[in-house]
Amino acid sequence: MIRVVFALAKREFVRFIRQPQRVVGTVAQPILFWLFLGSGFNSSFRAPGMESVSYLEYFYPGVMLMMMLFASIFSSITIIEDRDAGFLQSVLVAPVSRMAIVLGKVLGGTAIAMVQTLIFTLAAPFLGMHLGLGSLGLLIAAYVLTSAGFAAMGFFFAWPMRSSAGFHAIMMVFLMPLWMLSGALFPIERAPGWLHVLMTINPVAHALILMRKPFYETPDALFADQRYLIALAVTVAWAAFCLFGSMARVERREKGLAAQP
Amino acid sequence: MIRIQHLTHIYPGSRKTTPRTAISDLTLSVAEGEFCILSGPNGSGKSTLFRILCGMTLPSAGKIQVAGHDLLKEPARARTQMAVVFQSPAVDKHLTVAENLRLHADLYGLKGRDLAQRLDEALAWTDLKDRLPDKVDTLSGGLARQVELAKCLLTRPKILLLDEPTTGLDPSSRRNFVTALHNLQRGRKMTVLMTSHIFSEADDADRVAIMKGGRLLALDSPQMLKAGLGREMVVVQSRNPESLEARIRADLQLRTRRHGDEIRLEETDNGTSLPVLEDLLTRYRAEIDSIAIKQPALEDVFIHLTGKSAQEVESEQLETAAS
Repeated sequence: MIRVVFALAKREFVRFIRQPQRVVGTVAQPILFWLFLGSGFNSSFRAPGMESVSYLEYFYPGVMLMMMLFASIFSSITIIEDRDAGFLQSVLVAPVSRMAIVLGKVLGGTAIAMVQTLIFTLAAPFLGMHLGLGSLGLLIAAYVLTSAGFAAMGFFFAWPMRSSAGFHAIMMVFLMPLWMLSGALFPIERAPGWLHVLMTINPVAHALILMRKPFYETPDALFADQRYLIALAVTVAWAAFCLFGSMARVERREKGLAAQP
Repeated sequence: MIRIQHLTHIYPGSRKTTPRTAISDLTLSVAEGEFCILSGPNGSGKSTLFRILCGMTLPSAGKIQVAGHDLLKEPARARTQMAVVFQSPAVDKHLTVAENLRLHADLYGLKGRDLAQRLDEALAWTDLKDRLPDKVDTLSGGLARQVELAKCLLTRPKILLLDEPTTGLDPSSRRNFVTALHNLQRGRKMTVLMTSHIFSEADDADRVAIMKGGRLLALDSPQMLKAGLGREMVVVQSRNPESLEARIRADLQLRTRRHGDEIRLEETDNGTSLPVLEDLLTRYRAEIDSIAIKQPALEDVFIHLTGKSAQEVESEQLETAAS
């Protein structure tokens, strides 16, 4: 089973690297967003409790989240393409566990997101953020967890889709808002009441906490921080829910109507 | 090898559509080492049967045994015994031939020396030996199909299912593919079940099943199917078919049918065709371009049973493919 997962994940990765436009697009777009929005808002932005933080710095983990979101969207679209092109059929008739099919795709998507985010993490020292080894470890764990959660969520939505046009709708009205309301763009604290509620129940907002806090706190402090622990629990639950939901979807076979007796 | 018993499949309706019966009470067995072709017009239930056999769809009722395993209860077991070539190519175009084969090997847990040997074996009959590092994208349609079949052979399947595998190939690639398939089937003693509309492909099969409306109309060897039609016909081609036809009717009192510039004398009993042909030749030598005795072909059987010609079937298919 592990071999099957790796073989499928490797295929995703190889396909990604073979399409240079895709590599450039997914790496360059978030960076452009970051530089443009970050520089533009820099002078007018003050986050409560983070007064010394510039917008470039505030937005920094948000951009990573965006990279993961996009990596997940791209890899979800390949599910629809695979189904369309016929490749998926050969995987489905192979004697492989249905779980391996989901994990292969999710691992592939996660690996792609990881490469991008790790490259982007190199920018941290230039923003004056210095990471200890422990914090870096926690940060990478947060990357893996969040990327996997996003990839699994994309899988969950893309699996029953028959056209990528339909998936674009899901992307615009559901996936993008998840990111917008994660605290990536603006802090949760000063949002109006209804938005505050939405942002609190948004699992992606919790994932963002996992990716922001390690830049500012030591691992010891983090594990004593209740907000961090809650965020961790919510993110794990969200990723697991998406993963198992996807498996349930793959498991389901088209059934004929029971014959009338 | 494949035993289908009383298979029924009803597609559940949605809010706007009513449930539709695709297969009703179908019983069909394919013996070990047999090459069986499944044919039928669109909507005959072929594709549904194929999806069920692959284990992708669960039928409403009935039993299916594949290589001794209950396909519906133990799909994973049955899957290890069979390989499937789909109508739409199931290879990844962005990967090379070698990568595609290796990925397939990984899916089936093949590795090491065993894999190397299987790779040689699976590629031996193909024209792919120099194309292994090339992306499948760059191959011709015929070669891409070879990749697909080679991939399936890696797992040494006992049963090979093919869904219109020659769709989109030119006639010569089509013939090569079918010839290779027959050789492989004999050499490896595989059981083959293949759907097809192309009757030239069906002539070499052991048995041909013809489906319509979810039911099996006929299942027999091509020879027996044709013999069942029991007619031999004399086919005359002429530059003035109308006048010649009129004269044949008047002079010989024979029933004729005209297709374009062809005059067919279909109701000649077996054995009487030759005298008729000689008679026609002596009487109308000057007006006859060509004359022949024709045995009914499988296509004639198909038209007889389903009331549709293969061309009609094919144009229907193009329409569905376009929509």
